[in-house]
Amino acid sequence: MALLEEPIKEVRTLKNYIDGEWVESKGEVVDVVNPATYQTIAKVPISTGEEMDAAVEAAKAAFPDWRRTTPVARARHLYRLKELLEENFEEVSRIQTQEHGKTIDESRGETRRGIENVEVACGIPTLMQGYYSEDIAHGIDEWVIPTPLGVFGIIGPFNFPFMIPLWSAPYAVATGNCVIVKPSPEVPNSQMKLAELVEEAGFPPGVWNVVNGERAVVGRVLEHPDVKGITFVGRTSTAKEVICKKCGETGKKYIAQASAKNFMTIMPDCDVERTVTAMMTSFFGNTGQRCLSAANAVIVGEDDAFYKSFMDRVVEQTSNIKVGYGLDESVQMGPVRDKEKKARIVEYIESGIKQGAKIRLDGRKDIKIVGDYPETCFLGPTIFEDVTPDMRIGSEEIFGPVMSVMRVKDLNEAIEIANANPYGNGDSIFTTNGKSAREYQYNITSGNVGINIGIVAPMAFFPFSGMKDSFFGVLHTQGREAVRFFTESKVVIQRWF
Amino acid sequence: MILHTASEGITFARKLENDSAEFYENLAQRNAEDAETFLSFAGENKKNIVQVERAYYGVITDAIEGCFAFNIDPDDYTLKTAVPDGTGYTDVLSQALEIEKTIIKFYTDAAEQSRSLMADVPRAFTIIARKRGNRLEKLDSLLRR
Repeated sequence: MALLEEPIKEVRTLKNYIDGEWVESKGEVVDVVNPATYQTIAKVPISTGEEMDAAVEAAKAAFPDWRRTTPVARARHLYRLKELLEENFEEVSRIQTQEHGKTIDESRGETRRGIENVEVACGIPTLMQGYYSEDIAHGIDEWVIPTPLGVFGIIGPFNFPFMIPLWSAPYAVATGNCVIVKPSPEVPNSQMKLAELVEEAGFPPGVWNVVNGERAVVGRVLEHPDVKGITFVGRTSTAKEVICKKCGETGKKYIAQASAKNFMTIMPDCDVERTVTAMMTSFFGNTGQRCLSAANAVIVGEDDAFYKSFMDRVVEQTSNIKVGYGLDESVQMGPVRDKEKKARIVEYIESGIKQGAKIRLDGRKDIKIVGDYPETCFLGPTIFEDVTPDMRIGSEEIFGPVMSVMRVKDLNEAIEIANANPYGNGDSIFTTNGKSAREYQYNITSGNVGINIGIVAPMAFFPFSGMKDSFFGVLHTQGREAVRFFTESKVVIQRWF
Repeated sequence: MILHTASEGITFARKLENDSAEFYENLAQRNAEDAETFLSFAGENKKNIVQVERAYYGVITDAIEGCFAFNIDPDDYTLKTAVPDGTGYTDVLSQALEIEKTIIKFYTDAAEQSRSLMADVPRAFTIIARKRGNRLEKLDSLLRR
């Protein structure tokens, strides 16, 4: 199968988008590498704190006029952006594959999910309506006005470079705020393309800014007194130790979506064929680099025959997964984002072996890459059996294509071990029994719960939830909760003499 | 090579539509009497591509089994579109009938396999297969004429 055409054809040094202008950074530049080909596809600046200050200033200056722009008019900008995103759908998707490594189907899926958030935010004229009570006392009325706050920072991760900033940015600007998006320096290109479309859609200068970089600019946006809130997706350690602390110190609102260790519980009464197919996507989709990827497969029951036949099927189907460059349409799993991440996953595989798990499929060895590409970032899918919750591979986030299989005697035990894990992002059950499904949904401590769904990714009009160490904050990104997050309730009580 | 991903399935559908459209365009040049019919088939093929792509791009999301959507062997749906010189009109019409039957089979099989891609993709496939059923009648009537 021929490769789809790569949209990024020449290496260019990316700029920041500040106050409606494309601005060269004074910071050093680093290479952005395509993990499949290991070729440099762009150079991204590691911007300075002063450049973040300039973006905050621009956003702050744009805020009063943007706030006064009617919600209907703000929505029209978003409608234009939506149309432009549809027109550029394929290019945006291929950029994601080129910079991140995911398959083209996965990239298109990511683009669609990003656009859906723009679509939902287009409903802002009704989404941000307040409410009113007449005569709360004699001749006195009271109402609430959802009011925008000013400038928000949006810090994106590497695993969904296009979509995740769109869990926040459309709602922020729709409600009348101004934003500074800070993409991951590993995968900045799709946010650069998005910023080009934002510019083409005619957003006023300063409403939507993009500053490339890493710690220096993150530190500055967290400390800046004119930034009213932050949304962040990344590791729990950063969420807890940096985002929560800094936002607490500076009085900012925050949404911090963090690490995960997701449990997929498989009941012996499940639809085996569909469950196994869902497992392929859930464990190995996006090369396991997804906060909703299943990590532990918990197989319920003491029926050895069922276990054996089920696992044989899982291993067979996993062995057939085609690994390669995602712009080859036949590829079902791309590379890991970079060699450091691959090394980290390999270290987990080694720890699993050392701690006594049985390796059934070894992604370090059992790998055939489709096409002629360096192995630098590629790993095949790995399956461990006889995993226990106290092993590192059974308890810690690996963020790679590794399935850890555990056996438990009953559903209660499956729920207990999932609940004992510090994370609670996206757990699921596969069963044909409604009572089991209801018990699971009721008792599991997880923000996103799947019933016969392997990747519990909430639609744009539902909050992207999370519990325990997978989420810090009160409100969530997406939908009505995002609208609530990006506004403050101004309560007015009125009496006329 | 078996096609598994949604992207491969859509690309293959596009190829079948384009190849058969080209066949009908050639046929229209050779047979002025029925040119309008064949050109309408070719035009409809282009619309089918739009319909399939719209369905796919509209529902593809990262949460469904996009990389494990199909199990299609393209060899099962090979189209014979070349028309050797000297082929009689009846034979060409029979060839067209075979092409349509093959494409209907593809869309029917693909609709069954793509249930996980939400309703839109299998629905688009089913609609196209049904529309193509009308072509069989039309081609058959030309054959019997």
